[in-house]
Amino acid sequence: MKRKKIDGATALGFPTWAFVVFFFIMPLLLVLWYSFGYKPDLFTAHSNDILSLDRYAEALDATFIGTFWNTLKIGVIGTFLCLIIAVPFAYWMAVKLDPKWRALALALVLVPFWTNFLVRTLGWQIILSPRGFLSDFLQNIGLIDGRLDILYTQTAVQLGVVYNYLPLMILPLYVAIDRAGRPLREASADLGANRIRTLFQVTLPLAAPGIAAGSLLVFIPLMGDYITASVLGGAQGNMIGQLVASQFNTAQNWALGSAMAVLLMLFIGVAVGVCALVALVIRYFVRRSRRVVFLGGAA
Amino acid sequence: MTGTEGLRALVPAASVGRISRRAVLSGFVVLTATGALTSCSSNTGFASSVLPDGKVEDHLNVYSWGDYSDPGNIAKFQKTGTTVQLDSFGSNEELIAKLGATRGTSGYDVVVPTGSYIPMMSANGLLQELDHSYLKNIENIDPLYRDQSWDRGNKYSVCKNWGTTGYVYDSRKITREMTSWADFLEVAQNEASKNVSVLEDPWEVTSMYFAANGIDPNTTKKADLDAAEEFLVHKLAPHIKAFNSSAVQSGMPEETFVLMQAFNGDVRQGILVADTPDAWKFVYPTPTANIWMDTWAIAKGAQNMDAAYAFIDFMLEPETSFRELDYIGYNTGVIGVEKMAKERKFERPDLVFPPEEVVKRLTPGQVTSSAERLVAIVNRMMAKAGS
Amino acid sequence: MRESTQHRKRRDPVHIALAVWGVLVFIFLFLPIIVMIAYSFNTGRLLASWEGFGFDSYLSAIDNPIIRGSVMTSLGAAFGAAILSTVLGTLGGIALARSRVGSLSVLLATGLLGITLFTPEIVDAVSMLPWFVSLGTDAGIAPLNNGMVRLVIAHAVLSVAVVTFIVRARMQGLDASLEEAAADLYATPVKRFLQITLPVAAPAIWAGALMSFTLSLDNTIISSFIQVPGSTPWPVYIFSALRVGLRPEIAAVSTAMFLLTLFALFVVAMVLRRSDQSPEEIAKTLAAA
Repeated sequence: MKRKKIDGATALGFPTWAFVVFFFIMPLLLVLWYSFGYKPDLFTAHSNDILSLDRYAEALDATFIGTFWNTLKIGVIGTFLCLIIAVPFAYWMAVKLDPKWRALALALVLVPFWTNFLVRTLGWQIILSPRGFLSDFLQNIGLIDGRLDILYTQTAVQLGVVYNYLPLMILPLYVAIDRAGRPLREASADLGANRIRTLFQVTLPLAAPGIAAGSLLVFIPLMGDYITASVLGGAQGNMIGQLVASQFNTAQNWALGSAMAVLLMLFIGVAVGVCALVALVIRYFVRRSRRVVFLGGAA
Repeated sequence: MTGTEGLRALVPAASVGRISRRAVLSGFVVLTATGALTSCSSNTGFASSVLPDGKVEDHLNVYSWGDYSDPGNIAKFQKTGTTVQLDSFGSNEELIAKLGATRGTSGYDVVVPTGSYIPMMSANGLLQELDHSYLKNIENIDPLYRDQSWDRGNKYSVCKNWGTTGYVYDSRKITREMTSWADFLEVAQNEASKNVSVLEDPWEVTSMYFAANGIDPNTTKKADLDAAEEFLVHKLAPHIKAFNSSAVQSGMPEETFVLMQAFNGDVRQGILVADTPDAWKFVYPTPTANIWMDTWAIAKGAQNMDAAYAFIDFMLEPETSFRELDYIGYNTGVIGVEKMAKERKFERPDLVFPPEEVVKRLTPGQVTSSAERLVAIVNRMMAKAGS
Repeated sequence: MRESTQHRKRRDPVHIALAVWGVLVFIFLFLPIIVMIAYSFNTGRLLASWEGFGFDSYLSAIDNPIIRGSVMTSLGAAFGAAILSTVLGTLGGIALARSRVGSLSVLLATGLLGITLFTPEIVDAVSMLPWFVSLGTDAGIAPLNNGMVRLVIAHAVLSVAVVTFIVRARMQGLDASLEEAAADLYATPVKRFLQITLPVAAPAIWAGALMSFTLSLDNTIISSFIQVPGSTPWPVYIFSALRVGLRPEIAAVSTAMFLLTLFALFVVAMVLRRSDQSPEEIAKTLAAA
């Protein structure tokens, strides 16, 4: 009798799941439906009279794949940079910072993002300008010779995307490290572990869900993003989202655009799956090595 | 510590039993079915427009590009008793998608499409045919800018403002004489390599090749398109630093490029604020370039017809038109504004009022069957440039 | 032993290095904001080109009814979306955290939310518009023709997953024995929820609310597709003004909104300071047990 009942997830969360299904999944199914259609003539965007998989074949050309690799590169490096910047920062906020300032610090992390992203990107464009104050400053102190030439390069793209997604990494990390709790760290210290050991064997593993959540929150939208990259990086900021957008906008070919969108989501899913596999493998080996150390210590 | 035990804390024990799996799943099915039914409904009719009746309504909805009208003009029109709600879009495709998807119920009265899209929009019934008897100021428009190839007889639209495409270069870095698109392509591969920006519009980018090789920029011949792709992707793309029309206005003061394909009005804005305006030279390239025109049109399904006509008519008055010109920096095509500009010390009028022989050789861009191919070519260029 | 460990932690180089890193990151985050504030005083016509110092842009921004309207729209939509997605996300997060890990429904629910984060915004935009039109016009669900309703729903859909996962991360592993103890003491389910579950989840709920407010304020692409007359959000206005060149008014308005949100933050900080008591107490109770 008990086995037939639904467990908590669906019951309490029903309004949430229903909301998402109705207002997100349904429209997405529409896009999937579109991807089997075609563009009947110059003036009509779309028709589903004839169904086929041709759009997928059309979409998977060298440009698409090449651009996807480029985007993947930017995505992986960007996520990694966010991670190494955010981990010490979140640790500082959750552990070292005086508790009464913590909530404020957290909100201050988000405050820059209450200004429009185009304005922020333009701010960076001004900062990185060859004739700007940063350029002058760096030349004066001798770090570079000649004008600052970062704009419209890969470096500018990385800077832009890291800047845009950093809070999405900081927030889950903070929540997870905070949850790990002072008592556990103190207990670890009492058991004789030095700070580094505590960090790697207590705090970080407990924060792992936060790392995973943050990485996903950064990597996946970053893969679909394209505006900041193109404003700061120019041709170097060529991302796959741009291809999809151009089908829906300039080319008015919704079928092809839909097919590209579906492919994009599939590719991102595969990339995430590969990363998850790699993470699991790493975790397996780490656990194995730790067991050896523990045995050695206990003996 | 299983899930159901933990859940008892949050859901009254009695109801846990009642929420069976079947109930939840059927809930989802109902949702999905409702959704499927509504999207399958075959109502594809259009809401029809209200006819003008001589009484100007007290409200008007305008859908235009962002920041594309002098706020002072809007305020002045509102004093006549009609409030104006001005919303913005960022591309023609957005406008078309909005009008198409809402099928006459968008709520917008006056819209501002770019001329080359008018044939597509009228073929899909998105625009209202204009009754010229309500637009007495249509006579104010210079005949050169009336009766365009994409809207013969001004059936659907009147000129709001127009511009052309050329290029601007830093004469301190590029010392040779430049007058044509062939010069642009040549210099882009040599002196200006890696410091060139082109527009993101596929028609504009590909037209450079066509114009430089004596081909009609609106061509649909496969041989032409193939040749264009070959050159643009393999010869030109590796030298391009950005595909960005908004880079023009910052590119000059910041000096991030030495050669930029650009709209004439953007170049004027950039030169006016640059530290060294004389270093930058704008070229109306030979043999031809785009003449693009943003227009006033009325959407099918408009509810405030009299107000719409009154608004457009107001915008075509010379004084109003001059203020528009001053604010957005593009020629409005109304008779007399050029004279007013010269009298009122409008800066760099040469960039907004090209000589007549230039205007005569411009080609209006059209949306043709090669549109998709052009998009593909530029996408390939972007991939090549970024690799 | 414990005292001296704590004492050492306060002064040592690692602590200082971490604090320096924290400050550097804050500077990095705020640098473009400072630039934007500075350039809002630009008297020139183009935002990016400095001409002179003055308050002109603030005056003309206030005078501009279109700018005023779009800012109001954005703020209204952000509040609405934050409330909606926080409520839904809290329910969802708690539900997920309390469930058997790895069960089919949990995986499905997680996948469902994950998809909302997976899809590129342009795809959402193109799919949501015809959907809203179908529901609003064809099926006659009138509220869905209202611009604000559409914006709130669309923004909430995008951020509900974020809130859910943040709340779940907080609640996962936290002992449910607290709630069982309360149940044993005959506290009603509602009371248990309000006095134990919610306060424990509170920091995550506030974090989630802030996140969804942020995401809503910045949403551009979807908003531009689903908007109706009278409800152009602020980012859509900026995006469409990009083509003609951004003016300093935009920086002026951004600065004003920035100050406004700092003020709102101050209020939230006050509220949080008071509720911060309970998580500490619960942690102490846990430790004692």
